[in-house]
Amino acid sequence: MMSRFSILLAALLLAAPVLAQQPQQAQPTAQQPANGNAQAAAPAQSQPPAQDQATAQLDQATKDLKRLSAAVDGARDDDNRLADIKVEVDAVGKRIIATSVATRPRLDEIKARLAELGDPPAEGAPPEADVVTQERKRLTAERGAINALTGNAENLSIQATKLSNSITAIRRDLFSNALFKHTDISWGMFGDAVGSISAEYQALSRSIGSWLTFAWNYKRFALLSSIFLSLCAAFVLVSGTRRLFYPLIRNKADVSEPGYITRLTVAFWSTMVPTLVMVVFSASSYFFLNTFNVLRSDIAPLILVALGLGVVLVFVSQLARAVLSPREPAWRLVNVSDHGAALLFPAILAMAVVNGFDYFLATVSEVLSSPVVLTVARSFVATIVIGLILMAMALIRPMVPSPDEPQSRGKPWPRAISLSFVVTGGGLILAALSGYVGLGRFIATQIVITGAIFVTMYIGMLTGKAIAKQNALAGTIVGRYLERRFGMEQIALDQTGLAFGLGIYALVILFFVPLILLQWGFQIADIESWAYRFLTEIKIGSITISIVGIGAGILLFAIGYFVTRWFQRWLDGSVMARSRVDAGVRNSVKTGVGYLGVGLAGLVGISAAGLDLSNLALVAGALSLGVGFGLQNIVSNFVSGLILLVERPFKVGDWVVTGTTEGFVRRISVRATEIETFQRQTIMVPNSLFINASVGNWTHRNKLGRTDIPVVVGYDAAPRRIMDMLMEIAESHPLVLKTPSPVAVFSSFADATMTFELRVYLADIVNGTGVRNELRLAIFERFREEGLAKPFTAEPEVEPEEPIDEAFEAADEEDVPLLRPAEEAAQRSGTKRRPRRIVGLASEPSEG
Amino acid sequence: MKQVFSACLVVVALAHPALSANITNKDPDPAVLVIVEGDNRMEVAIAAGSTEAVCPSGCFITTPSGDRIGLEGSENVDIVKGSAVIN
Repeated sequence: MMSRFSILLAALLLAAPVLAQQPQQAQPTAQQPANGNAQAAAPAQSQPPAQDQATAQLDQATKDLKRLSAAVDGARDDDNRLADIKVEVDAVGKRIIATSVATRPRLDEIKARLAELGDPPAEGAPPEADVVTQERKRLTAERGAINALTGNAENLSIQATKLSNSITAIRRDLFSNALFKHTDISWGMFGDAVGSISAEYQALSRSIGSWLTFAWNYKRFALLSSIFLSLCAAFVLVSGTRRLFYPLIRNKADVSEPGYITRLTVAFWSTMVPTLVMVVFSASSYFFLNTFNVLRSDIAPLILVALGLGVVLVFVSQLARAVLSPREPAWRLVNVSDHGAALLFPAILAMAVVNGFDYFLATVSEVLSSPVVLTVARSFVATIVIGLILMAMALIRPMVPSPDEPQSRGKPWPRAISLSFVVTGGGLILAALSGYVGLGRFIATQIVITGAIFVTMYIGMLTGKAIAKQNALAGTIVGRYLERRFGMEQIALDQTGLAFGLGIYALVILFFVPLILLQWGFQIADIESWAYRFLTEIKIGSITISIVGIGAGILLFAIGYFVTRWFQRWLDGSVMARSRVDAGVRNSVKTGVGYLGVGLAGLVGISAAGLDLSNLALVAGALSLGVGFGLQNIVSNFVSGLILLVERPFKVGDWVVTGTTEGFVRRISVRATEIETFQRQTIMVPNSLFINASVGNWTHRNKLGRTDIPVVVGYDAAPRRIMDMLMEIAESHPLVLKTPSPVAVFSSFADATMTFELRVYLADIVNGTGVRNELRLAIFERFREEGLAKPFTAEPEVEPEEPIDEAFEAADEEDVPLLRPAEEAAQRSGTKRRPRRIVGLASEPSEG
Repeated sequence: MKQVFSACLVVVALAHPALSANITNKDPDPAVLVIVEGDNRMEVAIAAGSTEAVCPSGCFITTPSGDRIGLEGSENVDIVKGSAVIN
């Protein structure tokens, strides 16, 4: 059910393109009249056979496959061409399947109609109408035709897959042949090579010379103007970017301790600007030379490669300079010693130059059709030079020394790295010497290019790290902008920085890993299909995990969660607040909607993640056992929470008492209810306690409540007078309600004292403490004015026959310590009647 | 926010083709299908009432009724009375 739901959801999302596609598919079918197909001998008013179109498409696919197959034969040693052909073949395969999918609706119609017509009458049964027989025949024929067509498609599809596989095989062979081709390296070969070099040099100088002469004599204006124009373009760019970025790049001297992000920005621009200038110059030069027809077919590739080489060299040298910053240690992006930076820079540059030069010479050889021996010799030399450079790099001491060592020297590489340099360099030289020049050349090129990509990746990672660092973003321009524009706080900025940092990591990996794979000869289509596989189905045993599915599940859950929260807010703030729903109901509805929404979002998320919900039944079974044993408390609390929401014995803000806990309800959540005591201590009371035990709520229906003040006086006072006085005091207090009116009660006799109780009703019982306090003060003052007995327990043991005045004095001092703790205790257990606590001393004897 | 949402949509939309074709046999007898996927042709028996996930990247099936059907790889197919009903 849920998987259907998720499919439905996905289908909805995809509905727009699908809807857009269907008319396109339908149109040609509708437009095609019933043009004489063998099966289309059917009456014209019936649906035009969809097979026509399908047949045409399959014919086209057959032709395409033939053409591609021929192309494969023609390009058996051109890897790039083969890769392109493979992509085309795969596309044809997809098209074939799509074609047969398009015939499905018609087949379904036919089947449905045939089912309606029913089986032909059995022998002996009355014959059916001729029309029915005719139609059945026709439909059966059409069904057969469609099946035949699909059978064709099936065969074609197999053919396409076979072709595609054979291309892969050819490419694999091609690759290994190119790599593992063995050439005998001998002095004789070098002799030949030297001979060919001089021949090639002569040929090259002849063709360049003749081209120059030709260009100078006949195309002088075009040549000069194209050079002039491209110089102009480069100059415009230089001056423009200089104005823009000059302050950024050149005020290095002003900053003594640049931050990482500053260094990175400067490195980026100081690499990009010159490279861009070079690109513009090269592109415009080639464009103008080409447009003015100055180039000749043999010169054009040479110029193109030379210009490209210039761009690459500028880029590599600028990048290496920016990253290593040999002269200015403060601006270095990677953590290497001065010595290391000073030597690594030329080493890297040398490798780039050797590779570039080798590539250029290869183009020259190709253009001049030089003998193979020259290519071998050139690759041999380049491989050996790169091997030597690599081995030399092992000797560089690039590691930053500890602070007490001299800064300039640096420590050597870690053993593993220096060893790998030596082994790779030595391996390259050995491979070249033993005749595997192709292999050596391939590895050398890969080392240089892959190394460059790795270094760039490493810098990208460093960037991510720098931005993710605590408070790094706040100091940058972006951070300041965010702060200004969105009023982001420190913490939000910090988190944004972390997100940026992680995003940069992800981008670096997403961008560079495919780049490296491409470099190693994989094709984009391969990488796409791998990525697709990786994202959609990782098989571990019999379990298939789909990362995209899980991501989609999490995403759907997050969306569901936010939608729920939004809906909750909207319901609470816009709907229920205005319809004057009781706060408790509001809270209950809000919480209930929250649980429901999150639960739904969870279900949707789980099913979108590809987990079969029926499997959850097993988990539920296991859980129920767990519930029986250990989880029962949690579950009972949860269910109690739900009951609390429905029954609403209290709401947020109520003053409740349960067991020994008393205070205001602050939050009712899944497992427990938060109660804040009068001392501001928060107590989490498990919800089941509220359900299983009795709960007192001082403010359930309303806040009206009674509070009592016990007054104890000696027998020398007149009880009626005291009661009147108490009433007067109560009635004069502004917070005491008139109805129900306050009551003064003569509550008990004791050995030496009478106990009265003043019972007053308050509109808001929460004010009880304050009111009691004021009333007590008033009583005390009044008693003193009237010269009555003291309104509290005397301590008979201390001074039993004390004169009234002196007893007053003594009691006055004791008043504070006696009353306060009693008050506190009374507050803590609101259900208990206060009198007992306070007059404990006096009432006990009377009870006994 | 718009970008976040569109990114979400893209991810969800991408998640869709991840499903492979699910063939469910609704008949009381096991159904034998001929499935052509890639360059191999194989016979797959599906027990009564059970479901098989086949060909994530498109294939052809031949149903017991003799009909041949092309699948793109994201369909749900029921085998009813030996012939295919595609949902």
